[in-house]
Amino acid sequence: MWNVTMSFKKLYPVMAVAFICVLLGASVPAMAEDVVLDGFVENATYLRDGRGISKFRNTAQLEFLIPVKSSGFWSQVNLNGILRATYDGVYDLNDDEFGKDANESYLGQNWHPRGDATTGHPVLGGKPFLSAGVPFPCDNDPTLCKNLDGYMDLDENDAKFPEFNDRLDFIRELYIDATADLANGDQLSIRLGKQQVIWGRSDLFRVLDVINPVDYSRHNIYDELEDIRIPQWILQAESRMGPTGIFDDFNTSLVWNFDKFRPNVLGQSGQPYAILDAGNFFASYLNIDAHPALGNGGVPGFYTAPVPIIHDVDIPSWSLRNTQIGLKWEGVYRDTTFSLNGLYYRQQLPSLHFRELVVAPGSGLPASDGVFDIVFPRVKLIGGSIDYFNQATDAIWRLETTFTTGEELPRDKDGHKETDILRYVLGIDKNQVIPFLNKRRAFLISGQLFGQHVLDHENDMPDYKDNWIATFLFKGWWDSDQISPQILVARDLRSDGMAIAPSVEWLVSDNLKITFGGNIVSGGKKKFDWSVNDALTGVPGSLPSDYEPLARFKNGPIGVANQEDELQLTVRYSF
Amino acid sequence: MLNKIFLALMTLTLMTSATYAATLQDVENSFYPYKNSVPHAEGIKVGMVINADNWQVAKDVLDPVMLEFVKNGDYEINVAATTSFDLHPNYVDATKARLGKVMLGAEVGTINGSDAGRPFPAEPSQDDPRAGEKLAWNFKYGYNWGDSAAIKPFYWQYRNMKTGKIERNLTFNFHFLNFTHRVVNDPKPEILPNPSDLFRGTYLQVLAPFDVKNTQLLIHRYEDDQKRDNVYLYLGFQRRVRRLSSGQVTDAFLGSDLMIEDFEGYNGRIADMKWKYLGTRELLMPFYNHNDMPLEEKKDEDGYQFVKMVGKGGCFPAITWQLRKVYEVEAVPVDPGHPLSKRVHYFDAQTFTIPRTNMYDRKGDLWKSWTIAQAHPDFHLPQNKGTGVSIDDSFSMIDVQAQHCTTGKFKGIVDPALSPASKFTVQNMRASGR
Repeated sequence: MWNVTMSFKKLYPVMAVAFICVLLGASVPAMAEDVVLDGFVENATYLRDGRGISKFRNTAQLEFLIPVKSSGFWSQVNLNGILRATYDGVYDLNDDEFGKDANESYLGQNWHPRGDATTGHPVLGGKPFLSAGVPFPCDNDPTLCKNLDGYMDLDENDAKFPEFNDRLDFIRELYIDATADLANGDQLSIRLGKQQVIWGRSDLFRVLDVINPVDYSRHNIYDELEDIRIPQWILQAESRMGPTGIFDDFNTSLVWNFDKFRPNVLGQSGQPYAILDAGNFFASYLNIDAHPALGNGGVPGFYTAPVPIIHDVDIPSWSLRNTQIGLKWEGVYRDTTFSLNGLYYRQQLPSLHFRELVVAPGSGLPASDGVFDIVFPRVKLIGGSIDYFNQATDAIWRLETTFTTGEELPRDKDGHKETDILRYVLGIDKNQVIPFLNKRRAFLISGQLFGQHVLDHENDMPDYKDNWIATFLFKGWWDSDQISPQILVARDLRSDGMAIAPSVEWLVSDNLKITFGGNIVSGGKKKFDWSVNDALTGVPGSLPSDYEPLARFKNGPIGVANQEDELQLTVRYSF
Repeated sequence: MLNKIFLALMTLTLMTSATYAATLQDVENSFYPYKNSVPHAEGIKVGMVINADNWQVAKDVLDPVMLEFVKNGDYEINVAATTSFDLHPNYVDATKARLGKVMLGAEVGTINGSDAGRPFPAEPSQDDPRAGEKLAWNFKYGYNWGDSAAIKPFYWQYRNMKTGKIERNLTFNFHFLNFTHRVVNDPKPEILPNPSDLFRGTYLQVLAPFDVKNTQLLIHRYEDDQKRDNVYLYLGFQRRVRRLSSGQVTDAFLGSDLMIEDFEGYNGRIADMKWKYLGTRELLMPFYNHNDMPLEEKKDEDGYQFVKMVGKGGCFPAITWQLRKVYEVEAVPVDPGHPLSKRVHYFDAQTFTIPRTNMYDRKGDLWKSWTIAQAHPDFHLPQNKGTGVSIDDSFSMIDVQAQHCTTGKFKGIVDPALSPASKFTVQNMRASGR
């Protein structure tokens, strides 16, 4: 039975590609003239400094819109869909570096030198406190695979074909739109199905745009959000009141995400992109069993084997009360467009809940079957956004902010803490002709400053009470927009992480686009004291601060990717 | 002292208005200039072809830039008989009903008493220092696309003029709606509620190619000309609406040779330009009966065929031109940072469309030549018959410096059902976005 199931699983990609091909080919002539059908095939090949090929992703995407004849209450009824099939050949082409056999020498080898927690220690008989992450645990380590069940439990084949899973991700979007004209002149509109719902006005990082989780394993933070948001089964109902007493446009929108909860995909051990290197940490062990007193043969001898970092992942099961709901008021008032937003959802990044050794309460020692449980707590969010054209600067100013309660951040000594968090982004977009560079086409100059203020901050939190990330985009166009170079810079101000991403897009024809770019990333130098170092040696303060395991949060997604300098070539043929 | 200056300005305004007050005869002359006679020019005959061999005959009846194209052999002008493009009688009646009630305000971009019809039907005078501005108002409040219309589909092609290579093919839907100044379709004269006093909405959606598909643009123009347009852009790959700065309005739109400000001849505020009336002329202008033209062989689903492109690089429409009464108007941008030093418009006196415009860069050198050819509604799609709208039917924007052009082929449909007010909202952009 197992073999049969596996065979079917392997057949998913083939079946999906066949389905897309049928739609692309034989079915097209048979469809009604109003049906809109297009898509693309794409190859993205990335080369990472010192590692070789880090991506050989081949994508086929099909998008369709099918008008549905309707009469009566509903009009403008359309069925929309996007199907996507991906095969990433990096695991076949560069299996020394990525994949189920891509072992690292120590935890965090891909972003920092060895530290105290990752260097063999005499107290542990020459073992490090933390072992290297196990690549693709479900190919290599049944215990870890079981512990990470439902979250970081891809096998290598799953990573090669990321859309083909039990959530049917190859159906990237599939929803029906319908609009009803009400007697008072308002419109009621619904969008029901698997979809992306976009709130907010920011690029690259998200503040309000948190309804859909995102898949960072695709290319860290650098892919367009459209491509990495994980579509959810959602009902949007929207009352479009149009112009009202003082507003030029006013709408109320209800968003009900009734899908089973899905967290952000962070990328796991063995994958080329694992944001914050969290996947490696989650797939590692604490070698406490080698401790002379706590381990085998010692007194009290609590641990007979290395302790997995993760004991269990608590993915909320589907139930009505586990669904997520949001409300948005949105309008245009004179020169200002605005929104007010409220969302009752779940934290999409994992929160680590420490599990204490039951037989030694108050000792700070972890349970022998796993140090942490991963949970995704409930979060309440209120927020809003505004954009405004300012004539004096001839620029668009954007402001977006959220205040959340219920989020949890990790701590060194106390596991985690629930805290209120204020986030905001101030953005400016300006189009400016720079005659000596191009007198026929203006450049887009866009700057954003993201801020985060942790209201209930503690000193043992591996995060800053206040931190900011600045982004800068400079983009130009030449030759009827057929050639478009840009440079994108993102800097994490407190951690000193910095990413510079130059690229050039070349539209060879209406159908063929070639993008050549690169990433130059620096940072990842911040350390953070881990009290377990002290506890295990029994000599408080005897060891300096270390990279593992907490400094990953301090260095953020940019700094932790400091060894991901890449050259990137993407060729897309659209039809 | 300020009071005295204000009084003097008011007096001057009133005097100006009084001096050039229009009569019913002016209205007749304005809307039916060819009722009694059509223009004639020496050497110009219906049916003739003007080309590089005989360009001299057209020296006085072609604007200088189009004459240069003909002289260089880039294009041939086929001459047809002058025909009347009668605008809808309701628009004419609205003009009559407001005779003597419309006046310019003290500042450029201000007007009083104009809520429908042609504001200034009187013949412009070289002695009137604000004659150019009045003509600009006649264009702004013209019956261009009527109360509402759609261009669906609208094909743009980017072309290398030297090689003829078509570099890009874009497909759009365009929609226009007058919120005020409505004379034919209910509600008249205004769609309510209209809290910000919008005058006009322009909405477009890109259907192809894939890289710009789902791009949408919404322009809100206000009744108060002093108020800057609000322009919104929806980018398909970002799936969100962004505001546009005015810098983008004068930027190459989607890499074409057009700025957003070029749409329909001039798509900006009266107050953004210094207007100067240069004179009344009788010129060959691109006006024709669509159904009589040598159209493309390919037919749309309802049998509609688009205008064919010919000439150097395929940058010119294959149409006929007719001698028409034209107002030559210079528009100099107020903003010294504007990419143009001036436009020279040729307003068609009967329809107040802008079929020809020549544009000059900051140095004063010729940069672009802009043709929006006009089709008679009675010889177009059946549903356009009797609408009294001069149909924008084909365009050519030639960048003479870069030897590059963008051409456009329209399927203009004057049907209010295609452009409901709900289409002209920011929320519609989000809802239509994919």
